[in-house]
Amino acid sequence: MTIHRTPTPITATARALHETATGHGRADAAELVSKPRRGRHGGMIVAQVFLILLTIGFLAPVVWALLSAFKPANDIIRAPLSFDPTTFTLDNYTAMFEDVPIGSGFVNTGIVLLVKGTITLFCAPLAAYAFAKYDFRGKNLIFGAVLVTLMLPTIVLIIPLLLEMKQLGWVNTYQALILPGAVDAFAIFWMRQVIAAVPDELLDAARVDGCGEFGIFWRVVLPVIRPGIAGLAVLTLMNIYNDFVWPVVIASSDARATLQVVLSTLAQNITGNRIGADYATVTGELLAASSVALIPLLVLFIALQRHFINGILAGSVKG
Amino acid sequence: MSTLIAPRAKRPIITPARKRPMTAARAKRGLAPYLFVAPFVAIFLAFSIYPLVFTARLSFTNWRGSGAAEWVGWDNYTYLLGNSGFWGSLANSGVLWLLIIPAQLVIALLAAVLLDNAKLRLRSIYRIAFIVPFVTPLVAIAQIWVVAFDQNYGAVNSVLNLVGIPDIGWLTTSEWSKPTLALLFIWKTTGFIVIILLSGLQSIDSSVYEAAELDGSSRLRTLWSITVPLLRRTIMFAVVLQTLAVFQMFAEPFVVTQGGPYNSTTTAGYYLYNHITRGDLGTGAANSFLLVIIVMALSLVFVRLLRAKD
Repeated sequence: MTIHRTPTPITATARALHETATGHGRADAAELVSKPRRGRHGGMIVAQVFLILLTIGFLAPVVWALLSAFKPANDIIRAPLSFDPTTFTLDNYTAMFEDVPIGSGFVNTGIVLLVKGTITLFCAPLAAYAFAKYDFRGKNLIFGAVLVTLMLPTIVLIIPLLLEMKQLGWVNTYQALILPGAVDAFAIFWMRQVIAAVPDELLDAARVDGCGEFGIFWRVVLPVIRPGIAGLAVLTLMNIYNDFVWPVVIASSDARATLQVVLSTLAQNITGNRIGADYATVTGELLAASSVALIPLLVLFIALQRHFINGILAGSVKG
Repeated sequence: MSTLIAPRAKRPIITPARKRPMTAARAKRGLAPYLFVAPFVAIFLAFSIYPLVFTARLSFTNWRGSGAAEWVGWDNYTYLLGNSGFWGSLANSGVLWLLIIPAQLVIALLAAVLLDNAKLRLRSIYRIAFIVPFVTPLVAIAQIWVVAFDQNYGAVNSVLNLVGIPDIGWLTTSEWSKPTLALLFIWKTTGFIVIILLSGLQSIDSSVYEAAELDGSSRLRTLWSITVPLLRRTIMFAVVLQTLAVFQMFAEPFVVTQGGPYNSTTTAGYYLYNHITRGDLGTGAANSFLLVIIVMALSLVFVRLLRAKD
């Protein structure tokens, strides 16, 4: 009756075993792939049903959107569940490409990704290396500030940042899209955790071999933390690609609008115009635009899923 | 030999001739960390700290975006603390937290434990399913949510009609708007939580489970009395992350509900934005700091809970 409350002998032995057996070595991320464990068949069916239901829940909205974008706009709202291959149409896509500057949205997103991503991937590990492996004046102060900004809602800074951009004359420019948040607090925090796990002996050995301080970072630390860097790359790519609050504020002109800005501008049409004949057309265009926006990342991540998961695992905390 | 491995060890015997290059090297090393953090600090000062300090000063004024700012002391803060809209937004976030976190943790924990088993069939398909929401752009899925949860034309109500449930005003009634938003949040973020929990599970030695099995512990009991306690730190990490995210939640209501109907989805993060659109920048700034304090306090509570159990 008191299963959940009292620590039984079972849990006590098990925990003791855990504490002595695990030591501190982190399991290599690749071990995710193979870890034999007890297999009793009874609960397995329940487990599979649970996972299949979850899978359907997770995939259904996306699959529905991808399929519906190929339906005639009126059918999307009249019969949202049906899919009739004979009525397959590209009308939503052609209408969307005509009405919306989605091509330039891709180009702008690409430029921001390339520059901002490079800055993040270089500066964040470098700074995190200093935080993890050196003692220097002001370290705790700066790192404390990093932790505080981690808890800051992003919109807090939007007004002062916007004013700052106006003063600099940077409204609707690439630098305004790129520089704020180029090295975000989370990246520093996360990379520090990854680099802290690199043994000091490795760095000292390189130092003895005559390696310069930057050389140690470049030739010793970076190669060792490659999975962590891959994880950071993935998260950064995703954050930049999906970011829209700041871009909507700072780059609303067609010439600089990123993909997400284009998409959310289109979305304003639908929420501002719920009823009427237009609703179907806008819905169709919206689903087409959403599909176009999510396909590149989807393909990329399904192709790279193992690196993706292992990269994130490399930066997470231990149990 | 030990000096080779640990050059930092101080040795009084070293002759001055050897000492000079050592200190030069040490001086160089002393400069290195400053150079390493410099690019980050430059960007951080210009685009995080400067605006932050600006917001801090703003929170004590009644500035509306132009003209002279008048110093009003703590007025903005006291106004908010006595304002039902402010507390209402916190309550909305609190309700969303209750709708999201427990359900998400249970789902994610079960999924992670199951996915940790290498013998699981269809494992790679499940992993893809968990990643898909995580990489889907929020704006895109929010649009899909708006279309699919539409009261009259939406796919969700069509499915429910099939089993005889009448239309539900997912986005148009204040009872259903929060669950609809919570569902979007759970859909979008559960995959990430599963990955975090998986990383925790990996550091649990499998001999623990073998011991439990030898002792005749049932599966659910093993999960509850062994896995969960050993995973406590990882679970807390996930809870803190998600708490921050829920209380700062802005983009979801911004795209899907605009805070409505009847402010039922005006989250703490969205309420903040309302001041800004009204041009009431001083109050907006004060509101952000109150929110930061609340979020920090909540995180500290969770960290304390974690410590107390250690």
